Amino acid sequence: MREAWRSFRALVGKDLRVEFRTRDVLYTTGLFALMLVVIFSFAFLSDPSKARDYGPGIIWVTVLLATTVGQNRLFDRERENDCLWALLLSPVSPEVLFLAKVTAQLAFALLMQVPTLGLIVLFFDLRVVDPASFFGALLLGNLALGLVGTLFSAMLMNSRMKEVLLPLVTYPLLVPVLIAGVKVTALALGAPVAEDPGGWLRFLVGFDMIFGVVTVLLFGRMIRA
Amino acid sequence: MERAGYGLTLAAMGAVMAALYLVFFVAPLEATLGISQKIFYFHVGSAIHMMVAFGVCALAGVTYLVSIRGAPGVADWADAVGVATAEVGVMLGAVVLVTGPLWARKAWGTWWTWEPRLTLSLMVFLLFLAYLALRSFAGEDRFARAVGSGLAILGLPAIYLIHYAVERWGGAHPQVIYKGGLQQPEMRLAFGVSVLAVGLTAWALVVLRMSLERQRRDLDRLFLEADRRMG
Repeated sequence: MREAWRSFRALVGKDLRVEFRTRDVLYTTGLFALMLVVIFSFAFLSDPSKARDYGPGIIWVTVLLATTVGQNRLFDRERENDCLWALLLSPVSPEVLFLAKVTAQLAFALLMQVPTLGLIVLFFDLRVVDPASFFGALLLGNLALGLVGTLFSAMLMNSRMKEVLLPLVTYPLLVPVLIAGVKVTALALGAPVAEDPGGWLRFLVGFDMIFGVVTVLLFGRMIRA
Repeated sequence: MERAGYGLTLAAMGAVMAALYLVFFVAPLEATLGISQKIFYFHVGSAIHMMVAFGVCALAGVTYLVSIRGAPGVADWADAVGVATAEVGVMLGAVVLVTGPLWARKAWGTWWTWEPRLTLSLMVFLLFLAYLALRSFAGEDRFARAVGSGLAILGLPAIYLIHYAVERWGGAHPQVIYKGGLQQPEMRLAFGVSVLAVGLTAWALVVLRMSLERQRRDLDRLFLEADRRMG
């Protein structure tokens, strides 16, 4: 167990160190998210009074698209010189490797989203009434995106059309996250509906738990195939 | 295997004929919906077998991933089941998504609503399409097969959670069967035979598609063998 924890820390540390030295994923996905926000502003702000209705959807679509772009690059460094096989040959279990990758991906995604979310709130003049559920939903949603995205990003690493295939495969699976996420965010931004965000947050926790177990099991199985 | 497929095809032909006869000449017209209610006999049958096909596809995925290292023969067979059910599932999904809106336009006055069962059918259809896209474009290796299996397996909890999430918003789908809507015995007979007819057609196609897939792989193997011998 302690051995696993040490390799986990080493693997996450490696990814973070490489990223902070090159900053390629953070810069490109961050900029891409920024572009999306600007595009959405032009597309939806013809009627500023509707900003609160569009806000949650724009937040989640931006998060989803920018995260997918980053995930496509997630295993690029492992592909060079067949590093993934080297990692699999080392005495690290594939489950630990998978969780380390998910953690690193989550860290990149959250870092990239901080300025983006700030801009959306600014441009659309949104007011976060309930910060706890606002950030809770984003954290849980990003974890779900990370689990599903990392699994398929690893599996599609060597395929010819992975850029298109990754969203094609992950989005249908992530629809529940989007539904719940948009709902909680709308409530946290003060939507005039009498509903408790707790139910939807519990739903997200359930999704993360189910998909956490299944994706960890699947990663080990699929990578050995 | 092929023989079983042809047997099923013959049975399906008979059942479809019988179902059409029962639907149009025996079952009475529904009082409020009129002739448009007859769409329902094939619509529900297709929906039922689409869901069954989806479940079988996921089971085939589990079987594939469990047996790939120990029993390659079983894995090969399970993979053929996966491809066949996914393709037939797309066909059934297309039937559901064409007949559904046609009927909804008459009954509800709208082609489409984001109601739990409609959303569910659409998402199962999309998952099947993603599975087929993966199989067509990700390559022919064991890796692509493993990814397909993984997608089919993750699809099951996803579908359940989608259904749950959309249901929290409330829905308007007719609860025909649960509330005992089919009063006349002729209607119930027509319904039963229709479900059977769609099922026989679908599973005859699955069996034939599986035998086609296995022939294709044998051919690939022979080609590689010949290529190797020619040097």
